[in-house]
Amino acid sequence: MAFKPKVGLISCSGEACSGGNISRAATLEVLHHLRPTETVTICLPLFLAGDEAERDFAKHFPTITIDGCSKLCAAKGTTKYSSEPAVKLDVEKYTGDNCTVIDERQKITKSSDLVEKISQDIASHVDRLREEWK
Amino acid sequence: MKKVVIPCSGIGKAFGQVAREATYLLTDREHPDKFATICLPLLMADDEESKQIVLESDVYTIDGCPKKCASVLVKHVGGNPVMELLTAKVLAKNREHKPETILDIGEGGKLLAEDIARIILDHGGGE
Repeated sequence: MAFKPKVGLISCSGEACSGGNISRAATLEVLHHLRPTETVTICLPLFLAGDEAERDFAKHFPTITIDGCSKLCAAKGTTKYSSEPAVKLDVEKYTGDNCTVIDERQKITKSSDLVEKISQDIASHVDRLREEWK
Repeated sequence: MKKVVIPCSGIGKAFGQVAREATYLLTDREHPDKFATICLPLLMADDEESKQIVLESDVYTIDGCPKKCASVLVKHVGGNPVMELLTAKVLAKNREHKPETILDIGEGGKLLAEDIARIILDHGGGE
């Protein structure tokens, strides 16, 4: 049977932006429910702080970054410190600018449809990346 | 000037989520007039505005594991936190306030987040 790697999910989890909470919720949904055995998470702060194990994983295996806004901190950080992500998702492309809606920062339950949509998209990318792996 | 609370928000452990909850207690629910937060990844993406905020404010870091990423990253850009909290150390003072999982930190996790917020307020963060 051909080796199929786990896919690394890197959420920005931006604290100051509701998009960061959406990216985090969608990532956790994939990790814990949709593709628990096919994915791992990479802790972005640890990655940025210089953890070699996290950076090595992203150098050798496919990663998907899930950013809460168009600043794309997770994608840029992954590219800068390791290698280009296979997929770069931007929550802002689903919803518009979340970061200006501070009141909504914690109300992720209201965004549950959005979280489900994004998590399904992540899962589809996971399946495709594993299928295409050589 | 608002004081700045920066959690690690580690996504692999319940303690990272507790750090995040503690931050939102201060910045969104109880003292939004006194506290703000910034995105830690944005700080590391060389965002000048975030860096200036860190350099000019009283910064409280809340970390979920001993690697202390929030504290390390704030120092990396030249900041100097007035207080560096580790959730596990706060838990050691009251072991009943133990979080459950990252998806649901449970009542224990919520109480731990309250403990952390209180420590910051008692330190003078609420003044």
